[in-house]
This record gives sequence, structure tokens and C-alpha cells, in this order.
Amino acid sequence: MNIILIGMNHKTAPLEIRERLSLSCREEADALSEIIRISQIDEALYLATCNRVEVLAKTAAAETAVDRLKGFIYRQGNLSAEELEQCLYIYTDRDAVRHLFRVTSSLDSLVMGEPQILGQVKDAFRQAVEKNTTGVILNKILHHAFRTAKRVRTETDIAENAVSVSYAAVELAKKIFGDLKGKTILLVGAGEMSELAARHLVNQGVDRILVANRSYARALNMAEVFKGTAVDFAQLGEKLQEADIVISSTGAPHFVITADMVATALRRRKNRLLFLIDIAVPRDIEPQAGEIDNVYLYNIDNLQEIVDENLKARKLAARRAEAIIEEEVLKYEQWRSTLEVVPTIVSLREKFAAIAERELRKSEGWMQNLSNEDKQHIEIIIHSIINKITHEPIAGLKDESQNGGAKPYVAAVRRLFRLDADDT
Amino acid sequence: MDVTFFYTALGVYLISAVGYVASILTRRVWVAKLSTWIMGAAFGVHFISFAFRYLATGHNPVVSIYDTLSLLAWILSGVYLVLQLKTKTRVLGAFVAPVTFLLMIAASYRMAGPVAIPPILRGGLVPFHVILSVTGEALFVLASLAGAMYLMQDHLIKNKKVTSFTRFLPSLKELDRINHICLLWGFPLLTLGVLAGSVWARTAWGSHWQWDPKQIWTVLVWLIYAVLLHQRLAIGWKGHKAALYSILAFLVLMVSFCIEAFFFETVHNFI
Repeated sequence: MNIILIGMNHKTAPLEIRERLSLSCREEADALSEIIRISQIDEALYLATCNRVEVLAKTAAAETAVDRLKGFIYRQGNLSAEELEQCLYIYTDRDAVRHLFRVTSSLDSLVMGEPQILGQVKDAFRQAVEKNTTGVILNKILHHAFRTAKRVRTETDIAENAVSVSYAAVELAKKIFGDLKGKTILLVGAGEMSELAARHLVNQGVDRILVANRSYARALNMAEVFKGTAVDFAQLGEKLQEADIVISSTGAPHFVITADMVATALRRRKNRLLFLIDIAVPRDIEPQAGEIDNVYLYNIDNLQEIVDENLKARKLAARRAEAIIEEEVLKYEQWRSTLEVVPTIVSLREKFAAIAERELRKSEGWMQNLSNEDKQHIEIIIHSIINKITHEPIAGLKDESQNGGAKPYVAAVRRLFRLDADDT
Repeated sequence: MDVTFFYTALGVYLISAVGYVASILTRRVWVAKLSTWIMGAAFGVHFISFAFRYLATGHNPVVSIYDTLSLLAWILSGVYLVLQLKTKTRVLGAFVAPVTFLLMIAASYRMAGPVAIPPILRGGLVPFHVILSVTGEALFVLASLAGAMYLMQDHLIKNKKVTSFTRFLPSLKELDRINHICLLWGFPLLTLGVLAGSVWARTAWGSHWQWDPKQIWTVLVWLIYAVLLHQRLAIGWKGHKAALYSILAFLVLMVSFCIEAFFFETVHNFI
């Protein structure tokens, strides 16, 4: 039995190729059925996201299965063999499992630690289960992968800190205001990043949005998108008084919000904390505003610095995560190795049980004279003798399999007890 | 027996302080939770120590300044435990537990068995005076600790030094709220405590006011807190300024507390 994993990701394949593959796979949603139709493949899982395409399979004939899987991907993506060879990676057994664990734990992602991949793997698994393409082995491996991902998430800081500017702003807001429920946010100007940050804040419970724009029509538009209120640009100073978080991103060549405006607003709002986010270049908010007590001013560079620091921290966390992955791969190997001896143990037990059964039947004649109770006693004694005799060899096989040296013992047991012969 | 329990409590406070600090270093919530329970245990043992003292002497167990420190430690941990239930801010424990332990160390400096109580402390108002004032002071300790944490967090966020420590400290809003609650409750308690004391002073010494250094400092402390509370409630002092001021006010309180023990001749020193 072999586990193989064949695939490509954002590191090995350029976008055009990944695109072609994931597109064709989406159109033909039945990729999985086609994979499982390959006769060498017993169990299969198919994962396709915008950054990767992976096939995990259990097979009895690894080489043939890999060739046929390659053929499948080759057809799917309409790729030349050369293109394909360059982009593909192929892992077997322990390496395949390690790769899956790393992918699921988001160590192999474009943005390391991003949370979506775990959900994507879970979806892929659900599909496989629905289509009945997984069995004991892949089920076990996938559950192990989910467990590993959870360990990585809780025991390291890999997913801890924001790695995008807009999330960094949300995290800061939480450190200032705690709960964001009932807070008011003022959007000054428009822009992709300010809209994104606003959306994140709304998801965190901010429920009142004011929108100011030089063009009132534009303000109305945006207010509609966010179910907020458009305000007159001339009223900006007054509105500072109501807002808790201000995100400014106008294209103005001068300061739109001056330190004086902020100081006045703060007096009027009885010094309630104010978080100013300036993502405009050139800047919208006079830097001196950040020196006022209870005012926290961040510009785009400040936020970017936090993101850079967090990325560094993630890299550090990744090292710890790799160690966890290794531990889990080792655990998998141990389980896997006991798996080798399980069929032998089962046949051994079956063989002895069959012998007992046969001998008992032979003695049925003279046992007629015994009471039912005595018959039962005799059966119990026979079975317990069998258990006692087989206990040591079975325990020995399990031990050897843990140490990785079970093969000669398995062979010896099978041969000595003639487990592979048909005459039982 | 009371001394044995006192030292046991001191030891258990130490364990909880170490636990809280460890929970910060390891960033494991269960360590902090465990430390909270350990602190609760220390609180219980400490109470037993007071109970034994009371049973042995039959009177108010708080006589000397050292007893008062011990009582402050006990009430501080008690108030913190209640606050912990209400605010879920466990990090505060990492500041409170070491302070409690240090108070216990200071108290242990002259911790002996039961002593004979001076006649002047045998009044019915004395326990009220002591417990109300000390509870008020314990709340002020908490207010200043929350203030100190606020200043740290404020400094970090203001200067864009967002570190893992920033993430660990509670939000500014939460710290400001704790500071506010502690002042709001501490002030009336201290006021009642001082009033009880002055009423008893009239009975014992014939006048409400003796121009004693302890009394003068206490009134000064009371005035400072009165101003702080007024600014908070009426003027809208929040955040940075309120935190800073509550720490300064607490420093003055510390002086007042130490006076009767170390610096001046005062009628308030009984043993």
C-alpha cells in the first residue's frame, strides 16, 4: 500500500497554468470520479483552489498510478508534457502525508497562516466522502491533518497577528476600544483600502457609518453601500465629534483634518478616545493631531510596519509549526506501521478460531452426553488456551511494527502458520 | 496558629503571583485561570489567619500598621477576585498578585502572635473605620494599577510600538473602565472610613481633629481623590490624564500610609 500526492502550487506553477487547471476542473466538477476510475487507485482526494491543485491517493501500485494521474492532469489542463513536468511535485508515503499536513496547517500558503485553506481542505474531504472515494486510510490521514492544523493554530502564533493593512487597523481599534459594538466610524474620501477596512470594522460590530466626500453624490453612493449616512464635507469638524474611528483617504494635496479640528472635537466629545487612520498619500491628517492626549493617529506607513513585523513573527512561528508537523508525521508513521501487521494478526486469530471450531464439531458425538453447562466450559477453556498461546506472538508483532522491523516477522508468521495457503 | 496561617497565605500568594507572571510569559490562559484559583485559596487561608487572631484575643485583629498592611493585602486580593468575575481581565492579576505578595512581605516584617490591644482601639467604631478605609485604599491600589497598565498600553499604541505585549494587555477602554469603577467605589468607602475615624477620635480624644500629621495627610489624599473624581465625572477626564493622575494620587496615599510607621510622631501610632 502506498500513499501518493501529486500536485502543483503557487510556488511551482505560474498563474496561467494553475488558472487553466482550476478552471477546467471547475467546469468539469467530476474530476474526482475520473480519478477514482483509475483502476490502480483505491482511495482519492482532490483539492483545487486558486493557488493549488492536489491529488492525494491510496494505491497498491504507486508508479502506474502516478503515471495515470499525470495523464489525467495533463488532459485536464491541456498541457504539454514538458510544461507539466516543470510544475508538478510528486510525494509518496511519509512525504505525501507531510505535505498534506503542511498544506492543511497553512504553512504552504501564499500568505502563511491564512485561515481559508483549512476550510478548503475540509470541503474537498466532504466531497470525497459524499462521492465515497475515501476509505479507512485516507479518512484517518485527513482527520490527522485537521488535528495537526488545530495544534499548529493553537500552539503557535502563526495565525495570530494581522498581515494586511486593513486587518492591522481593525486589531488596533480593538486594542483601543475593546468591543467595537456601538462605535461610529467616519469615512473621509473613498478608496479601495478604506472601504476594505470599513467592511472589516462593520464585521466586528461597528454599526454606525458616516461618509464624507468632496462630491456629495459620491458620498451618498457610498453611504448606500454601507447603509450609512452621507455628511457634508464642510461639516467634517463637527462630525469628528461623533466618530470613534476615522478613516481618511482623499486625494487632497493638503491636510483635510488639522490638529486644531481634532483638538476642538476632542474637547467637545469630553476626551473620548479617537482613532485616526490616514491612508492617503499625500497625508490627509496633520501629524500633530497624533500628539493630543487620547488621540491615536496611524498613517499608511505605520500600519505597513506593523504588518511587516507580524510577517516576521509568522516566519518565526512557522519554525515551531514545522516541528509540530514532524511530530505528527511520526505519529502517523507509527500508526501506519501497526497497520502492516493488522491483517496478519486477524488471519492468525481466524485460523485458530477455525481450528477450534472444527475440532469441537468433530467431538460433537461424544459430547452429547454432557450437560450444556459442561459443553460451555469446554469451549471457554479451548478459547482461553488459544488466546494465551497467541497473545505473545501478537504482542511481539505489534512491538516490532512500532520499531519498524515487522516485515521478516510478518513473513515468518505467515509462512509458519501457512496463512497464505488456501487449505485452511 | 494565626502566624502559621499568615505565612502559609504569604506562600500561596507567592505561588499565585508566579503563576500569573508565568501565564504572561507562556501566554497560556489556563495558567492564569489556575493562578486565580490559587489566589482564591490564599485569600481563604489569609482569612483563617485573621479568624484565629480574633478567636485568640476576642477583639479586632488589626492593631498595628503591619496588621493593616496584611489587611490591605487581603482586601486587595478579595476586591480583585470580585473584579475578575465582573471584567474578565485576568492580566490585571499579574500586577495585583505581586503587589499583594509584597504587602504581605512588608506585613511579615513584624508579624507576631496576638498582642494586647490598647484601650483606645476597643471602640465599636474602630473596626468600621479600619475596614472601610482599607477597602477604599485597596480600590485605589487597583485604580492605580489599572492606570499604570493604561499608561503602558497608551504609550505603546501612541508611539506605534505594537508588540506582543500590546496584544496581551487589555484594551484602553477596559483599563479606563476599571480605573473608573475603582475610583467610584473607593472614594465613598474612604470617606465613610475617615468619618468613622473622626467620630471615634472625638469620643477617644475629645475632638474630631488633632492636627496630627496622619490626619493632615489623609485629608490631603481625600482632597486629591475628590478632585480626580470630580474631573472624571464632571469635566470628562478620561484615558491618559485620568490614569496619570490616579497614579500620582496613589503615591501621595502611600506617603500617608507610611507616615504612622516610619516618619512622624503621630497619635495614630498605637504600638
